[in-house]
Amino acid sequence: MQAADADAGGPAGGADNSLEGRGQGGCGGLCSAGTEAAVAGAAPRVPRPQHAPGPGGDALSTAGRPETRVHIFALGVPFPSHLEAEIACASLAPDREPHGGIVEKQLTVTDSVLAIRWRAENSRLLRISIINFLDQLSLVIRTMQRFGPPVSR
Amino acid sequence: MPAVLGFEGSANKIGVGVVRDGAVLANPRRTYVTPPGTGFLPGDTARHHRAVILDLLQEALTEAGLTSQDIDCIAYTKGPGMGAPLVSVAVVARTVAQLWNKPLLGVNHCIGHIEMGRLITGATSPTVLYVSGGNTQVIAYSEHRYRIFGETIDIAVGNCLDRFARVLKISNDPSPGYNIEQMAKRGKKLVELPYTVKGMDVSFSGILSFIEDVAQRMLATGECTPEDLCFSLQETVFAMLVEITERAMAHCGSQEALIVGGVGCNLRLQEMMETMCQERGARLFATDERFCIDNGAMIAQAGWEMFRAGHRTPLSDSGITQRFRTDEVEVTWRD
Repeated sequence: MQAADADAGGPAGGADNSLEGRGQGGCGGLCSAGTEAAVAGAAPRVPRPQHAPGPGGDALSTAGRPETRVHIFALGVPFPSHLEAEIACASLAPDREPHGGIVEKQLTVTDSVLAIRWRAENSRLLRISIINFLDQLSLVIRTMQRFGPPVSR
Repeated sequence: MPAVLGFEGSANKIGVGVVRDGAVLANPRRTYVTPPGTGFLPGDTARHHRAVILDLLQEALTEAGLTSQDIDCIAYTKGPGMGAPLVSVAVVARTVAQLWNKPLLGVNHCIGHIEMGRLITGATSPTVLYVSGGNTQVIAYSEHRYRIFGETIDIAVGNCLDRFARVLKISNDPSPGYNIEQMAKRGKKLVELPYTVKGMDVSFSGILSFIEDVAQRMLATGECTPEDLCFSLQETVFAMLVEITERAMAHCGSQEALIVGGVGCNLRLQEMMETMCQERGARLFATDERFCIDNGAMIAQAGWEMFRAGHRTPLSDSGITQRFRTDEVEVTWRD
Protein backbone atom coordinates (compact mmCIF):
# COMPACT_ATOMS: atom_id res chain seq x y z
CA MET A 1 0.00 0.00 0.00
CA GLN A 2 1.09 3.49 -0.53
CA ALA A 3 0.47 6.86 0.99
CA ALA A 4 -1.01 9.08 -1.63
CA ASP A 5 0.31 12.53 -2.17
CA ALA A 6 -2.07 15.40 -2.36
CA ASP A 7 -2.39 16.31 -5.98
CA ALA A 8 -4.29 19.37 -4.98
CA GLY A 9 -3.36 22.54 -6.73
CA GLY A 10 -2.86 24.14 -3.34
CA PRO A 11 0.20 24.05 -1.14
CA ALA A 12 2.01 20.78 -0.93
CA GLY A 13 2.36 18.66 2.17
CA GLY A 14 1.06 19.79 5.48
CA ALA A 15 0.75 23.45 4.90
CA ASP A 16 -2.88 22.84 4.29
CA ASN A 17 -4.76 25.28 6.43
CA SER A 18 -8.09 23.59 6.29
CA LEU A 19 -9.73 22.42 9.45
CA GLU A 20 -9.58 18.87 8.17
CA GLY A 21 -5.97 18.98 7.19
CA ARG A 22 -5.58 15.24 7.05
CA GLY A 23 -7.35 15.19 3.73
CA GLN A 24 -4.15 14.96 1.82
CA GLY A 25 -4.32 11.24 1.69
CA GLY A 26 -4.95 8.26 3.83
CA CYS A 27 -3.06 5.09 3.85
CA GLY A 28 -5.52 2.29 4.18
CA GLY A 29 -3.17 -0.40 5.24
CA LEU A 30 -3.63 -4.01 4.33
CA CYS A 31 -0.84 -5.63 6.19
CA SER A 32 -1.99 -9.19 6.50
CA ALA A 33 -1.07 -11.70 3.89
CA GLY A 34 -4.41 -13.39 4.14
CA THR A 35 -7.67 -12.65 2.44
CA GLU A 36 -8.89 -10.63 5.37
CA ALA A 37 -8.67 -7.06 4.21
CA ALA A 38 -8.78 -4.79 7.20
CA VAL A 39 -8.04 -1.14 7.24
CA ALA A 40 -5.12 -0.81 9.62
CA GLY A 41 -5.78 2.26 11.69
CA ALA A 42 -6.40 5.80 10.67
CA ALA A 43 -4.56 7.93 8.20
CA PRO A 44 -1.25 9.24 9.46
CA ARG A 45 -1.74 12.52 11.25
CA VAL A 46 -0.37 15.61 9.59
CA PRO A 47 1.02 18.08 12.11
CA ARG A 48 -1.16 21.20 12.28
CA PRO A 49 0.76 24.16 11.02
CA GLN A 50 0.89 27.36 13.03
CA HIS A 51 -0.80 30.34 11.48
CA ALA A 52 -0.31 33.96 12.10
CA PRO A 53 -3.76 35.35 12.73
CA GLY A 54 -5.02 37.60 9.95
CA PRO A 55 -6.24 41.09 10.52
CA GLY A 56 -8.80 41.01 13.30
CA GLY A 57 -9.06 37.25 13.24
CA ASP A 58 -7.67 34.13 14.86
CA ALA A 59 -6.20 31.00 13.27
CA LEU A 60 -9.61 29.53 12.66
CA SER A 61 -10.97 32.44 10.74
CA THR A 62 -8.03 32.37 8.35
CA ALA A 63 -8.56 28.67 7.66
CA GLY A 64 -9.78 27.79 4.17
CA ARG A 65 -13.13 26.01 3.92
CA PRO A 66 -12.52 22.26 4.06
CA GLU A 67 -14.76 21.62 1.10
CA THR A 68 -12.65 23.59 -1.35
CA ARG A 69 -9.60 21.36 -1.10
CA VAL A 70 -9.15 18.33 -3.28
CA HIS A 71 -8.72 15.31 -1.07
CA ILE A 72 -7.20 12.05 -2.23
CA PHE A 73 -7.51 8.74 -0.47
CA ALA A 74 -5.86 5.55 -1.66
CA LEU A 75 -6.51 2.05 -0.45
CA GLY A 76 -4.77 -1.18 -1.43
CA VAL A 77 -6.40 -4.55 -0.75
CA PRO A 78 -4.31 -7.70 -1.26
CA PHE A 79 -6.05 -10.89 -2.36
CA PRO A 80 -4.72 -14.45 -2.53
CA SER A 81 -4.69 -14.37 -6.35
CA HIS A 82 -5.04 -12.09 -9.32
CA LEU A 83 -8.38 -13.71 -10.23
CA GLU A 84 -9.86 -13.01 -6.82
CA ALA A 85 -8.73 -9.41 -6.95
CA GLU A 86 -10.40 -9.11 -10.37
CA ILE A 87 -13.59 -10.68 -9.03
CA ALA A 88 -13.74 -8.22 -6.15
CA CYS A 89 -13.08 -5.35 -8.52
CA ALA A 90 -15.85 -6.38 -10.89
CA SER A 91 -18.27 -6.78 -7.98
CA LEU A 92 -17.54 -3.38 -6.45
CA ALA A 93 -16.98 -1.18 -9.50
CA PRO A 94 -20.36 -1.10 -11.29
CA ASP A 95 -22.43 0.93 -8.81
CA ARG A 96 -22.13 4.65 -9.29
CA GLU A 97 -21.39 7.07 -6.48
CA PRO A 98 -24.38 9.09 -5.30
CA HIS A 99 -24.48 12.92 -5.46
CA GLY A 100 -23.46 13.25 -9.08
CA GLY A 101 -19.69 13.47 -9.42
CA ILE A 102 -18.71 15.11 -6.14
CA VAL A 103 -16.77 12.02 -5.07
CA GLU A 104 -14.89 10.08 -7.74
CA LYS A 105 -13.35 6.72 -7.23
CA GLN A 106 -11.37 4.44 -9.48
CA LEU A 107 -10.69 0.77 -9.02
CA THR A 108 -7.73 -0.98 -10.59
CA VAL A 109 -6.10 -4.37 -10.19
CA THR A 110 -2.36 -4.89 -10.30
CA ASP A 111 -1.20 -8.47 -9.75
CA SER A 112 -3.27 -9.58 -6.79
CA VAL A 113 -3.90 -6.17 -5.27
CA LEU A 114 -7.11 -4.23 -5.72
CA ALA A 115 -6.30 -0.53 -5.61
CA ILE A 116 -8.97 2.11 -5.04
CA ARG A 117 -8.29 5.78 -5.40
CA TRP A 118 -10.77 8.43 -4.27
CA ARG A 119 -10.78 12.07 -5.21
CA ALA A 120 -13.21 14.59 -3.74
CA GLU A 121 -13.50 18.20 -2.73
CA ASN A 122 -16.04 17.50 -0.03
CA SER A 123 -14.38 15.75 2.89
CA ARG A 124 -17.62 14.71 4.54
CA LEU A 125 -18.93 12.96 1.43
CA LEU A 126 -15.51 11.43 0.88
CA ARG A 127 -15.54 9.97 4.37
CA ILE A 128 -19.03 8.55 3.83
CA SER A 129 -18.02 7.03 0.52
CA ILE A 130 -14.98 5.35 2.03
CA ILE A 131 -16.94 3.92 4.94
CA ASN A 132 -19.68 2.58 2.65
CA PHE A 133 -17.08 1.08 0.34
CA LEU A 134 -15.37 -0.68 3.21
CA ASP A 135 -18.70 -2.18 4.31
CA GLN A 136 -19.39 -3.52 0.81
CA LEU A 137 -15.79 -4.71 0.44
CA SER A 138 -16.09 -6.62 3.67
CA LEU A 139 -19.23 -8.30 2.37
CA VAL A 140 -17.52 -9.28 -0.90
CA ILE A 141 -14.62 -10.78 1.01
CA ARG A 142 -16.92 -12.74 3.32
CA THR A 143 -18.79 -14.00 0.26
CA MET A 144 -15.57 -15.15 -1.34
CA GLN A 145 -14.45 -16.83 1.87
CA ARG A 146 -17.72 -18.65 2.29
CA PHE A 147 -18.61 -19.55 -1.30
CA GLY A 148 -15.21 -19.57 -2.98
CA PRO A 149 -12.62 -20.36 -4.14
CA PRO A 150 -13.41 -19.47 -7.75
CA VAL A 151 -14.09 -22.48 -10.00
CA SER A 152 -11.50 -23.17 -12.64
CA ARG A 153 -12.14 -21.45 -15.91
CA MET B 1 -34.33 -27.13 -17.26
CA PRO B 2 -32.57 -24.06 -15.99
CA ALA B 3 -32.41 -23.43 -12.25
CA VAL B 4 -32.16 -19.76 -11.36
CA LEU B 5 -31.04 -18.20 -8.08
CA GLY B 6 -32.67 -14.84 -7.29
CA PHE B 7 -31.62 -12.14 -4.82
CA GLU B 8 -33.99 -9.41 -3.59
CA GLY B 9 -33.30 -6.61 -1.10
CA SER B 10 -34.60 -3.31 -2.46
CA ALA B 11 -36.46 -2.34 0.72
CA ASN B 12 -36.53 -3.82 4.21
CA LYS B 13 -37.07 -7.43 3.15
CA ILE B 14 -34.13 -9.54 2.03
CA GLY B 15 -34.83 -12.80 0.25
CA VAL B 16 -32.97 -15.42 -1.75
CA GLY B 17 -34.98 -17.81 -3.92
CA VAL B 18 -34.46 -20.72 -6.28
CA VAL B 19 -36.79 -21.45 -9.19
CA ARG B 20 -36.57 -24.22 -11.78
CA ASP B 21 -39.08 -24.63 -14.57
CA GLY B 22 -41.94 -23.00 -12.76
CA ALA B 23 -41.28 -24.67 -9.41
CA VAL B 24 -40.21 -22.62 -6.42
CA LEU B 25 -37.57 -24.79 -4.77
CA ALA B 26 -36.66 -22.39 -1.96
CA ASN B 27 -37.66 -18.91 -0.83
CA PRO B 28 -36.23 -17.92 2.58
CA ARG B 29 -36.61 -14.27 3.64
CA ARG B 30 -35.84 -11.93 6.54
CA THR B 31 -37.44 -8.58 7.36
CA TYR B 32 -35.74 -5.61 8.98
CA VAL B 33 -38.31 -4.37 11.51
CA THR B 34 -37.83 -1.03 13.26
CA PRO B 35 -39.45 0.12 16.52
CA PRO B 36 -42.99 1.57 16.48
CA GLY B 37 -43.06 5.18 15.39
CA THR B 38 -40.00 4.79 13.17
CA GLY B 39 -39.32 3.82 9.58
CA PHE B 40 -36.34 2.03 8.03
CA LEU B 41 -33.38 4.09 6.82
CA PRO B 42 -31.16 3.03 3.90
CA GLY B 43 -27.85 2.64 5.80
CA ASP B 44 -29.35 0.60 8.63
CA THR B 45 -31.34 -1.51 6.19
CA ALA B 46 -28.23 -2.25 4.14
CA ARG B 47 -26.39 -3.21 7.32
CA HIS B 48 -29.19 -5.64 8.18
CA HIS B 49 -29.10 -7.20 4.72
CA ARG B 50 -25.32 -7.57 4.74
CA ALA B 51 -25.51 -9.38 8.08
CA VAL B 52 -27.96 -12.04 6.92
CA ILE B 53 -27.59 -12.44 3.17
CA LEU B 54 -24.92 -15.14 3.16
CA ASP B 55 -26.86 -17.28 5.64
CA LEU B 56 -29.96 -16.85 3.48
CA LEU B 57 -28.02 -17.91 0.40
CA GLN B 58 -26.85 -21.05 2.14
CA GLU B 59 -30.39 -21.73 3.37
CA ALA B 60 -31.78 -21.36 -0.13
CA LEU B 61 -29.31 -23.81 -1.64
CA THR B 62 -29.84 -26.32 1.15
CA GLU B 63 -33.63 -26.08 0.99
CA ALA B 64 -33.54 -26.50 -2.79
CA GLY B 65 -31.19 -29.44 -2.45
CA LEU B 66 -28.82 -27.88 -4.96
CA THR B 67 -25.16 -27.05 -5.13
CA SER B 68 -23.68 -24.01 -6.80
CA GLN B 69 -22.94 -26.07 -9.88
CA ASP B 70 -26.64 -26.91 -10.31
CA ILE B 71 -27.48 -23.21 -10.66
CA ASP B 72 -27.61 -21.93 -14.24
CA CYS B 73 -28.04 -18.22 -13.72
CA ILE B 74 -27.79 -15.62 -10.94
CA ALA B 75 -30.58 -13.04 -10.94
CA TYR B 76 -30.72 -10.00 -8.66
CA THR B 77 -32.76 -6.82 -8.31
CA LYS B 78 -31.19 -4.10 -10.43
CA GLY B 79 -33.84 -1.62 -9.29
CA PRO B 80 -35.95 0.30 -8.46
CA GLY B 81 -35.48 0.71 -4.71
CA MET B 82 -33.22 2.09 -2.01
CA GLY B 83 -29.58 2.59 -2.97
CA ALA B 84 -27.48 1.08 -0.20
CA PRO B 85 -29.67 -2.02 0.27
CA LEU B 86 -29.71 -2.64 -3.50
CA VAL B 87 -25.91 -2.40 -3.64
CA SER B 88 -25.45 -4.77 -0.71
CA VAL B 89 -27.40 -7.45 -2.52
CA ALA B 90 -25.95 -6.76 -5.97
CA VAL B 91 -22.33 -7.15 -4.83
CA VAL B 92 -23.09 -10.62 -3.49
CA ALA B 93 -24.86 -11.62 -6.69
CA ARG B 94 -21.93 -10.39 -8.79
CA THR B 95 -19.43 -12.14 -6.57
CA VAL B 96 -21.09 -15.55 -6.63
CA ALA B 97 -21.76 -15.24 -10.37
CA GLN B 98 -18.02 -14.83 -10.86
CA LEU B 99 -16.97 -17.40 -8.26
CA TRP B 100 -19.19 -20.02 -9.86
CA ASN B 101 -18.72 -18.70 -13.42
CA LYS B 102 -22.44 -18.29 -14.11
CA PRO B 103 -24.28 -15.64 -16.15
CA LEU B 104 -25.73 -12.66 -14.31
CA LEU B 105 -29.16 -11.08 -14.81
CA GLY B 106 -30.33 -7.73 -13.48
CA VAL B 107 -34.09 -7.84 -12.94
CA ASN B 108 -36.66 -5.06 -12.60
CA HIS B 109 -38.30 -5.47 -9.18
CA CYS B 110 -41.80 -4.64 -10.45
CA ILE B 111 -41.49 -7.21 -13.23
CA GLY B 112 -40.41 -9.73 -10.61
CA HIS B 113 -43.74 -9.21 -8.85
CA ILE B 114 -45.68 -9.51 -12.10
CA GLU B 115 -43.94 -12.67 -13.30
CA MET B 116 -44.37 -14.38 -9.93
CA GLY B 117 -48.03 -13.34 -9.88
CA ARG B 118 -48.52 -14.85 -13.32
CA LEU B 119 -46.73 -18.03 -12.39
CA ILE B 120 -48.51 -18.66 -9.11
CA THR B 121 -52.03 -17.72 -10.21
CA GLY B 122 -51.96 -18.85 -13.82
CA ALA B 123 -53.58 -15.58 -14.95
CA THR B 124 -53.04 -15.25 -18.70
CA SER B 125 -53.10 -11.54 -19.46
CA PRO B 126 -54.42 -9.64 -16.45
CA THR B 127 -54.60 -5.98 -15.63
CA VAL B 128 -52.12 -5.80 -12.78
CA LEU B 129 -52.51 -3.65 -9.68
CA TYR B 130 -49.02 -3.43 -8.17
CA VAL B 131 -49.23 -1.93 -4.69
CA SER B 132 -46.49 -1.85 -2.09
CA GLY B 133 -44.63 0.47 0.26
CA GLY B 134 -42.52 1.72 -2.63
CA ASN B 135 -44.72 1.43 -5.71
CA THR B 136 -48.30 1.95 -6.84
CA GLN B 137 -48.97 1.23 -10.51
CA VAL B 138 -51.68 -0.20 -12.74
CA ILE B 139 -49.97 -2.21 -15.44
CA ALA B 140 -51.09 -4.09 -18.52
CA TYR B 141 -49.01 -6.02 -21.01
CA SER B 142 -48.99 -4.87 -24.60
CA GLU B 143 -46.53 -5.53 -27.41
CA HIS B 144 -43.49 -6.55 -25.44
CA ARG B 145 -43.78 -4.00 -22.65
CA TYR B 146 -45.47 -3.87 -19.29
CA ARG B 147 -47.21 -0.55 -19.86
CA ILE B 148 -48.11 1.71 -16.96
CA PHE B 149 -51.73 2.76 -17.32
CA GLY B 150 -52.02 4.60 -14.04
CA GLU B 151 -49.86 5.27 -11.00
CA THR B 152 -49.38 7.38 -7.94
CA ILE B 153 -48.27 10.91 -8.70
CA ASP B 154 -46.56 11.18 -5.33
CA ILE B 155 -46.16 8.45 -2.70
CA ALA B 156 -47.07 4.77 -2.84
CA VAL B 157 -50.20 3.61 -1.05
CA GLY B 158 -48.10 1.40 1.23
CA ASN B 159 -45.93 4.38 2.09
CA CYS B 160 -49.07 6.29 3.10
CA LEU B 161 -50.18 3.40 5.32
CA ASP B 162 -46.71 2.88 6.82
CA ARG B 163 -46.26 6.55 7.67
CA PHE B 164 -49.72 6.73 9.18
CA ALA B 165 -48.81 3.74 11.35
CA ARG B 166 -45.86 5.74 12.67
CA VAL B 167 -48.14 8.54 13.78
CA LEU B 168 -50.18 6.11 15.87
CA LYS B 169 -47.04 4.24 16.92
CA ILE B 170 -48.49 1.02 15.52
CA SER B 171 -46.03 -1.87 15.63
CA ASN B 172 -43.99 -2.60 12.50
CA ASP B 173 -43.94 -6.30 13.32
CA PRO B 174 -44.60 -8.18 11.06
CA SER B 175 -45.42 -5.09 8.99
CA PRO B 176 -47.29 -1.84 9.73
CA GLY B 177 -49.81 -2.59 6.97
CA TYR B 178 -50.75 -5.92 8.53
CA ASN B 179 -51.37 -4.29 11.90
CA ILE B 180 -53.44 -1.49 10.35
CA GLU B 181 -55.53 -4.19 8.66
CA GLN B 182 -56.21 -5.93 11.97
CA MET B 183 -57.14 -2.67 13.69
CA ALA B 184 -59.36 -1.66 10.76
CA LYS B 185 -61.48 -4.75 11.32
CA ARG B 186 -62.46 -3.28 14.70
CA GLY B 187 -63.22 0.17 13.27
CA LYS B 188 -66.84 1.27 13.34
CA LYS B 189 -66.94 4.89 12.27
CA LEU B 190 -66.08 6.15 8.79
CA VAL B 191 -64.17 9.40 9.01
CA GLU B 192 -64.41 11.35 5.79
CA LEU B 193 -61.01 11.75 4.13
CA PRO B 194 -60.02 13.41 0.85
CA TYR B 195 -60.55 11.14 -2.14
CA THR B 196 -57.87 11.88 -4.71
CA VAL B 197 -58.17 10.02 -7.99
CA LYS B 198 -56.71 12.05 -10.84
CA GLY B 199 -57.98 10.46 -14.04
CA MET B 200 -55.96 7.29 -14.45
CA ASP B 201 -53.67 8.22 -11.55
CA VAL B 202 -53.91 8.58 -7.76
CA SER B 203 -52.36 10.81 -5.11
CA PHE B 204 -51.77 9.92 -1.46
CA SER B 205 -49.62 12.62 0.10
CA GLY B 206 -52.58 14.92 0.69
CA ILE B 207 -54.57 12.18 2.38
CA LEU B 208 -51.58 11.43 4.58
CA SER B 209 -51.20 15.07 5.67
CA PHE B 210 -54.91 15.27 6.29
CA ILE B 211 -55.17 12.13 8.36
CA GLU B 212 -52.04 12.94 10.38
CA ASP B 213 -53.70 16.22 11.28
CA VAL B 214 -57.10 14.70 11.94
CA ALA B 215 -55.59 11.97 14.11
CA GLN B 216 -54.13 14.49 16.55
CA ARG B 217 -57.39 16.34 16.88
CA MET B 218 -59.96 13.56 16.89
CA LEU B 219 -58.09 11.20 19.18
CA ALA B 220 -57.61 14.01 21.69
CA THR B 221 -61.32 14.79 21.75
CA GLY B 222 -62.31 11.15 21.64
CA GLU B 223 -64.33 11.79 18.52
CA CYS B 224 -63.01 8.56 17.02
CA THR B 225 -60.71 5.70 17.86
CA PRO B 226 -57.43 4.68 16.19
CA GLU B 227 -59.36 1.67 14.81
CA ASP B 228 -61.84 4.04 13.16
CA LEU B 229 -58.98 5.91 11.51
CA CYS B 230 -57.37 2.70 10.25
CA PHE B 231 -60.72 1.61 8.86
CA SER B 232 -61.39 4.98 7.21
CA LEU B 233 -57.95 5.20 5.63
CA GLN B 234 -58.18 1.71 4.16
CA GLU B 235 -61.69 2.23 2.81
CA THR B 236 -60.66 5.47 1.13
CA VAL B 237 -57.35 4.48 -0.42
CA PHE B 238 -58.53 1.04 -1.47
CA ALA B 239 -61.61 2.49 -3.18
CA MET B 240 -59.28 4.77 -5.12
CA LEU B 241 -57.16 1.81 -6.22
CA VAL B 242 -60.23 -0.15 -7.27
CA GLU B 243 -61.38 2.83 -9.34
CA ILE B 244 -58.16 3.22 -11.32
CA THR B 245 -57.86 -0.52 -11.84
CA GLU B 246 -61.41 -0.64 -13.14
CA ARG B 247 -60.70 2.26 -15.47
CA ALA B 248 -57.70 0.44 -16.94
CA MET B 249 -59.68 -2.78 -17.30
CA ALA B 250 -62.38 -0.88 -19.16
CA HIS B 251 -59.80 0.63 -21.54
CA CYS B 252 -58.22 -2.75 -22.23
CA GLY B 253 -61.39 -4.80 -22.27
CA SER B 254 -59.69 -7.01 -19.70
CA GLN B 255 -61.42 -9.90 -17.97
CA GLU B 256 -58.69 -10.58 -15.43
CA ALA B 257 -57.21 -8.56 -12.59
CA LEU B 258 -54.10 -9.52 -10.64
CA ILE B 259 -52.96 -7.85 -7.41
CA VAL B 260 -49.23 -8.01 -6.57
CA GLY B 261 -47.00 -6.28 -4.03
CA GLY B 262 -47.06 -6.25 -0.23
CA VAL B 263 -50.29 -4.25 0.05
CA GLY B 264 -51.87 -6.99 -2.07
CA CYS B 265 -51.85 -9.23 1.01
CA ASN B 266 -54.60 -7.07 2.46
CA LEU B 267 -57.83 -9.07 2.51
CA ARG B 268 -60.05 -6.00 2.55
CA LEU B 269 -58.41 -4.74 -0.65
CA GLN B 270 -58.90 -8.17 -2.20
CA GLU B 271 -62.52 -8.14 -1.12
CA MET B 272 -63.20 -4.73 -2.66
CA MET B 273 -61.43 -5.69 -5.89
CA GLU B 274 -63.43 -8.93 -6.03
CA THR B 275 -66.68 -6.98 -5.78
CA MET B 276 -65.65 -4.77 -8.69
CA CYS B 277 -64.51 -7.74 -10.76
CA GLN B 278 -67.74 -9.62 -10.18
CA GLU B 279 -69.74 -6.60 -11.30
CA ARG B 280 -67.76 -6.65 -14.55
CA GLY B 281 -67.80 -10.42 -14.97
CA ALA B 282 -64.03 -10.47 -14.55
CA ARG B 283 -61.82 -12.77 -12.50
CA LEU B 284 -59.57 -11.63 -9.67
CA PHE B 285 -56.19 -13.24 -8.95
CA ALA B 286 -54.09 -12.69 -5.86
CA THR B 287 -51.22 -14.45 -4.11
CA ASP B 288 -50.50 -15.09 -0.44
CA GLU B 289 -47.90 -13.35 1.70
CA ARG B 290 -45.09 -15.69 0.56
CA PHE B 291 -45.20 -14.08 -2.89
CA CYS B 292 -47.03 -10.76 -2.40
CA ILE B 293 -44.34 -9.48 -0.12
CA ASP B 294 -40.90 -8.91 -1.67
CA ASN B 295 -39.09 -12.24 -2.02
CA GLY B 296 -36.11 -13.78 -3.81
CA ALA B 297 -38.07 -16.34 -5.81
CA MET B 298 -39.92 -13.65 -7.74
CA ILE B 299 -36.59 -12.27 -8.95
CA ALA B 300 -35.50 -15.81 -9.79
CA GLN B 301 -38.73 -16.37 -11.75
CA ALA B 302 -38.38 -13.17 -13.78
CA GLY B 303 -34.73 -14.10 -14.23
CA TRP B 304 -35.76 -17.54 -15.47
CA GLU B 305 -37.98 -16.00 -18.16
CA MET B 306 -35.31 -13.54 -19.16
CA PHE B 307 -32.55 -16.15 -19.20
CA ARG B 308 -34.51 -18.45 -21.49
CA ALA B 309 -35.21 -15.51 -23.79
CA GLY B 310 -31.49 -14.84 -24.04
CA HIS B 311 -31.09 -11.79 -21.79
CA ARG B 312 -27.74 -11.36 -20.02
CA THR B 313 -26.37 -8.53 -17.91
CA PRO B 314 -22.65 -7.89 -18.43
CA LEU B 315 -20.87 -7.00 -15.19
CA SER B 316 -20.03 -3.55 -16.48
CA ASP B 317 -23.79 -2.86 -16.97
CA SER B 318 -24.83 -4.42 -13.70
CA GLY B 319 -24.94 -1.26 -11.58
CA ILE B 320 -28.07 -0.78 -9.50
CA THR B 321 -30.48 2.04 -10.18
CA GLN B 322 -32.93 3.60 -7.76
CA ARG B 323 -35.26 4.64 -10.57
CA PHE B 324 -36.24 1.93 -13.03
CA ARG B 325 -39.53 2.22 -14.85
CA THR B 326 -41.51 -0.95 -15.43
CA ASP B 327 -41.90 -0.15 -19.12
CA GLU B 328 -38.13 0.24 -19.68
CA VAL B 329 -37.67 -3.50 -20.06
CA GLU B 330 -38.33 -5.21 -23.38
CA VAL B 331 -40.44 -8.23 -22.49
CA THR B 332 -39.15 -10.54 -25.19
CA TRP B 333 -40.33 -13.69 -23.44
CA ARG B 334 -44.01 -12.96 -24.18
CA ASP B 335 -45.78 -12.58 -27.52
